[in-house]
Amino acid sequence: MKAVCWHGKHHVQVDTVPDPQILNPRDAIVKVTLSGICGSDLHLYNGKVPTMKEGDILGHEFMGVVVETGSAITSLSRGDRVIVPFPIACGDCWYCQEGLWALCDNSNPNSWMLEKLYGDTGAGIYGYSHLYGGYAGGQAEFVRVPFADTGLEKVPPELSDEKVLFLTDILPTGYQAAENCHIQKGDTVAVWGCGPVGLLAMKCAWQLGAGKVFAIDRFPERLEMARMHCKAEPLNYEEVDITEALHDMTGGRGPDSCIDAVGMEAQGTGLEAAYDTVKQTLRLENDRPIALRQLIKACRKGGTVSIPGVYSGFVDKMPMGAVFAKGLTIRAGQTHVQKYLRPLMRLIETGAIDSSFLITHRLSLNDAPMGYELFDRKQDGCVKIVLRPQGVSQTVH
Amino acid sequence: MEAATGATQSGLEREAKQRGKQINVGRNERTASMIGGAALAVTGLTKLAGKKILPGMALMAAGGMFLYRGKTGHCDVFEAMGVDTAGTEDKGLTVEKVLTINRTPQEVYEFWHNFENIPRFMRHLEAVRTTGGRTSHWKARGPAGVSVEWDAEILEDYPGQRISWQSLGNADIPNEGTVEFMEAPGGRGTEVKVHLTYRPPGGTAGKLAAKVAHGINAQVIEEDMKRLKQIMETGETATAAYTGSRTYH
Repeated sequence: MKAVCWHGKHHVQVDTVPDPQILNPRDAIVKVTLSGICGSDLHLYNGKVPTMKEGDILGHEFMGVVVETGSAITSLSRGDRVIVPFPIACGDCWYCQEGLWALCDNSNPNSWMLEKLYGDTGAGIYGYSHLYGGYAGGQAEFVRVPFADTGLEKVPPELSDEKVLFLTDILPTGYQAAENCHIQKGDTVAVWGCGPVGLLAMKCAWQLGAGKVFAIDRFPERLEMARMHCKAEPLNYEEVDITEALHDMTGGRGPDSCIDAVGMEAQGTGLEAAYDTVKQTLRLENDRPIALRQLIKACRKGGTVSIPGVYSGFVDKMPMGAVFAKGLTIRAGQTHVQKYLRPLMRLIETGAIDSSFLITHRLSLNDAPMGYELFDRKQDGCVKIVLRPQGVSQTVH
Repeated sequence: MEAATGATQSGLEREAKQRGKQINVGRNERTASMIGGAALAVTGLTKLAGKKILPGMALMAAGGMFLYRGKTGHCDVFEAMGVDTAGTEDKGLTVEKVLTINRTPQEVYEFWHNFENIPRFMRHLEAVRTTGGRTSHWKARGPAGVSVEWDAEILEDYPGQRISWQSLGNADIPNEGTVEFMEAPGGRGTEVKVHLTYRPPGGTAGKLAAKVAHGINAQVIEEDMKRLKQIMETGETATAAYTGSRTYH
């Protein structure tokens, strides 16, 4: 089969590799019909996540059709159209049973690596480095899906792939980010980053009762998307001092909650940005927490900082004094996708949420390397690329 | 932990040792650290000379850290990660691991008590065969098809709570083990504590046994225990192996 493989920093290519096979009784093989390139894939593309190996198959946002099932699978059969959540989770450990699927104890065969780094492990993730298990990803024609009897969601026939694909990752991620804010009716929510997760977090914030939503980015076309599709007030950090602007626009209080949908490769301006870029390049600091520092400073007293953006290691100059003095609550982590599938599928069915507006590029698998380059450079108005492993590219925005 | 043999003990190394910092960087890595560190520091100096103050300072700092690591044999980053690359000769192994399994103490006890199940999660074991009410025969494998065998007997057996056993006679790798099962608080299942001791192999079979024993370390046992948990909770062991075969087209 064909698959998008990682070959080093800024180097992905489409390789012909063996088809996956069933290894465990609870496995299934899924023929991929649609597969997204995620903003977090760019961290891999930019070589920021350790333990990637040459030839690793990328991709963790995919859906498709079941073509084979392991001996223990009774809930699925050949031909079922399914959503595959990006965290691989067993459904049997204490964490899964508590709804903390992304913290599954059993799905990461390399759990010892994360334990050494973080003190404990998270769930395995498709195509997301050997730290997260070394699983082959879904930017491929076929994928082996472990624990296929738990968490996979069948798709109603009337919903198209594009309407439901983002249930695999970014829609639940946006939702969890907003839910972590404990939004009270009328609250002001500020979202750093108008990429797909940020935009969906804005939509979900409204859904959960927000009274005002701010969108922070530097790309005019993304800020425009936030304004048009997510009813957010756009703020360009290259034009205004974000902390001051938010202060002034919230009667001096600051937003009730702030969402960091940027993560460890934040861009910034001035000396601070230069400092972090140098330290990150030299690997003296894994992550550039420029957005995070702004969030903490801008957030109102007693407010919540919610972090769906990915961080991998150590950050420098964390304003813990402000976190303490203002009594902030920090919520973070990978998304417990399985927990949100049913309720969000319902919101899609009723039309309350539609995330398909994000798609700017539809490409064949062969064009994936070009897609990565476009997405990384934010060229051609690129916000979200979906790959069609069984189809051809379409140059329609 | 011993100092890397043959390495000259420098003043810095002595000082680091006095401050209780142990040598946890292998000799080759120490040399590499010093060369790399010096290069970084020099690059930093060059940048400083070129008025690139910020990058220059950062490079100097990085270089300094690697120089320190090479000179003292101590790396704080390694220490933080719990990594020890200094290497040890085989002096036997005592390892204790604790983990929580989302099953009742009785269920985990019963699985373990059938010793023939143990090779399903302990990868260095090829097979365990029950030979009597309290006795069993164990076969461990090492690199290149090398294997050693021994008999063991159960010393203590408290259903749902504790099992201990030891190898019998002049086993090639004399060993003993205890496993305890305690109910975890808040309905979280069972806290399993395993304590294993492998004594240094000796006698005529020593070399062969040493090869097998070499493959057993704390990391291996830790992963074995993870597999026990996976089998008990999910019925299978997690793998990301990629072994392509058939085609679906």
